[in-house]
Amino acid sequence: MTAHDSDHDELPAHDELSARLRALPTERVPPARVWQGIAAQLPGQAPAPEVAARTPAARWPHRHRWPLRVGLGMAAALAVLMVVPTPIPQTPAPSLLQRQADAMAGEYQQAIAALPSADVTDEWRPALHELDASADTIRAAIAENPRSRYLLGQLQRTYALRLELTQQAVLSAGLPT
Amino acid sequence: MRIPLSLIAALALCLPVVAQAATNVNERHPLGAGGRVEISNIAGKVTVRGWDRSDVALTGSMADGLTLKQDKSSNRVRWEVEYPRGRSNGGATLELRVPRSVEVQLGTVSADIDVADIDVRRLQANSVSGSITAAGRSGETTLNTVSGGIRSQLQTARLDARTVSGQLLAGGGASGEVAAESVSGRVNVNAGRIQRLAVETVSGSLDVSATGMAPGGKVTMQTVSGSVALKLPANVSAQLNVKTFSGGIQSDAGQVEKPRYGPGRSLDARLGSGDGDISISAHSGSVRVSLGR
Repeated sequence: MTAHDSDHDELPAHDELSARLRALPTERVPPARVWQGIAAQLPGQAPAPEVAARTPAARWPHRHRWPLRVGLGMAAALAVLMVVPTPIPQTPAPSLLQRQADAMAGEYQQAIAALPSADVTDEWRPALHELDASADTIRAAIAENPRSRYLLGQLQRTYALRLELTQQAVLSAGLPT
Repeated sequence: MRIPLSLIAALALCLPVVAQAATNVNERHPLGAGGRVEISNIAGKVTVRGWDRSDVALTGSMADGLTLKQDKSSNRVRWEVEYPRGRSNGGATLELRVPRSVEVQLGTVSADIDVADIDVRRLQANSVSGSITAAGRSGETTLNTVSGGIRSQLQTARLDARTVSGQLLAGGGASGEVAAESVSGRVNVNAGRIQRLAVETVSGSLDVSATGMAPGGKVTMQTVSGSVALKLPANVSAQLNVKTFSGGIQSDAGQVEKPRYGPGRSLDARLGSGDGDISISAHSGSVRVSLGR
């Protein structure tokens, strides 16, 4: 079957559809007495206005109220937004690697806290500060790239070294210099 | 008899010198191949040299108040400089002579360690703020310092060097297995033919070269913010993998890939027949891979 044949086959259906559309009842305005009957059945309502009186000129006062209502609504919404605290946009949930880094940091803090407090000597202090700064650097890098597993290894190594050196520093605190 | 006033004044001036008089050290102990010698000294300096004899000798001097504790057996000797509680007036300057094929273990706090002309089975040197310099031959080597630098020219089949803030320079024929770690100090490794090479820093730069890779060899370099430079011969056979987050990549082989969206760069390349593995990871540091030495 060619495209030309196809066009020909669809013509009778098109004619039939047009005929059925023409046969549909046309849109009609209900007669005025219908509105009066509805208004009469509504309890406590003022008498329905004459449909003939609903001229465009008569409807203008209602339409003029709409900008006022919209403006008042917007002002009220603005006031609500200003008074009610706006929820902070939710930050993405920490990745597994970030949670592991947090857990590692917590364990490290506990281990450091468990060590006896002692004034470390000058030989140790620069390196301990360096390791603290490095751990911060690595954690910042993990926050930037939370899928980098080797950074977690770096953090683990840094914490382990910090802990090991702190233990040594505490042990040697009583030694002469 | 009247003593001249000038003589009294001169004696008074000499008193501090007498009070700080050094104690000489002169010890010997027979030690055959496979034996172990250990030195522990907090401050001053420890020098180690090899010789063709079958005993170890310790010479030098100690500041007043320091004593030398000895612990000897047939195949082991340990000398430890003991310091009085509180602040001492000085350290000990010691020189150790060692025979071939022994194990040497050195520990200091602020004392520098200087090792040369040795041919030992194993060398282990640890310091806190002292620097470590080592040359000669050693089967296995461990060099650790916290804030001091490390400079190794050892011919060794197994080198493990670690520092926190000091610079780490390893050359002179380190081959086989090499591990070098630093936190903020620069790491420079000039290796021979390597089987395993692992170099890590946090912020220190990495500069590594090797004359070759053993079949199935493995190179791993990692840093957070340090720059990375790797130089290998043109005929190296390995699979090269480089990843950075925000750092740039330059390589004589392979193409740098960037995701269409988001940060990160990577490079995968087959060098030769791709026998070994080279893996480089940097967060913000740049990476440069050169071939053809």
